[in-house]
Amino acid sequence: MTPGESAAERSEPIPADSTGEGKYVYCIIRLDRSREFGEIGIGGGARVYTVNHNDLAAVVSDTPIVIYDPTRENVLAHEFVNETVMREFTLIPMSFGTVFRSEKDVLALLKSTYQAFTDVLEKMQDKIEFGLKILWDRDKVVAAIERENDEIRRLKDEITRNAASSTYFARMQLGRLVEAAMEEASNRYVADVHEQLKDVSVASRSSKVIGDRMILNAAFLVDRQAEKKFDEKVKAISRQYEDLLNFKYTGPWPPYNFVTIKLKLEKAT
Amino acid sequence: MGLLTNILLAPFLGPIYGTRWTLDKVDRVVREELTDDTPIKEDLMALQLQLEMGEIDDAEYVRREAEIMQRFREVREWREKFGMSTSGGPVRVAESDETE
Repeated sequence: MTPGESAAERSEPIPADSTGEGKYVYCIIRLDRSREFGEIGIGGGARVYTVNHNDLAAVVSDTPIVIYDPTRENVLAHEFVNETVMREFTLIPMSFGTVFRSEKDVLALLKSTYQAFTDVLEKMQDKIEFGLKILWDRDKVVAAIERENDEIRRLKDEITRNAASSTYFARMQLGRLVEAAMEEASNRYVADVHEQLKDVSVASRSSKVIGDRMILNAAFLVDRQAEKKFDEKVKAISRQYEDLLNFKYTGPWPPYNFVTIKLKLEKAT
Repeated sequence: MGLLTNILLAPFLGPIYGTRWTLDKVDRVVREELTDDTPIKEDLMALQLQLEMGEIDDAEYVRREAEIMQRFREVREWREKFGMSTSGGPVRVAESDETE
């Protein structure tokens, strides 16, 4: 039996308990009565509703007990529910793919983590997250560096003029200078973006960049009231750098990158 | 006699010890590689970005996403084999836990 084969089998439903259904949990909100969010759940439009404990509610839908692959379809379904809930509530997002075996198990989560959820919901009250990725166009940045950096321009002219006789070392030297200047430029752009967004955001968190053209992969926590200002600022910065940098701006999101409650969960077998 | 034994066996003993040490190390490296889903997540994010940037079309995305999902399943499988924690699947609040 290879891992692949048995994994494929496991994407089929595993028999659940007597209710026949598990609960997929999207997020935790503050709400002291039950509520319906429509048939928008993961797995093809399952009914989304709340499981309540005191003034906390878990937003869930019924699901067979399966492991959800993080496919675009599944991830979008998870996000769409959270987006819908977010229009009215401050929420703590659950990790993608969190499935409980029964309503009783969801209630146990709300009870055992009541204080932590309450504290975090308090802190995240009316906060939203925006994602900002910045990619650069290497050729354009190199061209800009050559315009601005006299030493690099001179060395390059020299090598071009004396193409035949220019030494290997001169080329090496140019390469090193350009690399260093690019790193410096990247740091400068990133610092400038952070500086300009500081006043319109509450916090920021940078993640590892993806690929070799990305120079920033960050999330910003923003007050709902400041959403418009943040938005305008990002647009202004992207105009400022439009010749050099490509801005990928997404949101509003639930505060995925600013909430870390370590839940003590174990496999329910 | 003793000397002869050593001389005769030395070439064999040497490589055997060497090999065993190497295999342990290889085993550990392989195990880490088999059970680490970080590079898969990175590939998935890179793929997402390529789609967003219009570098690949939807069909290409779907095809490569399927490959990546298969790798996720394989890592999950290996983690289970090695008795490591896995993400996905039903969970419940750990019983030892009171509150935090």
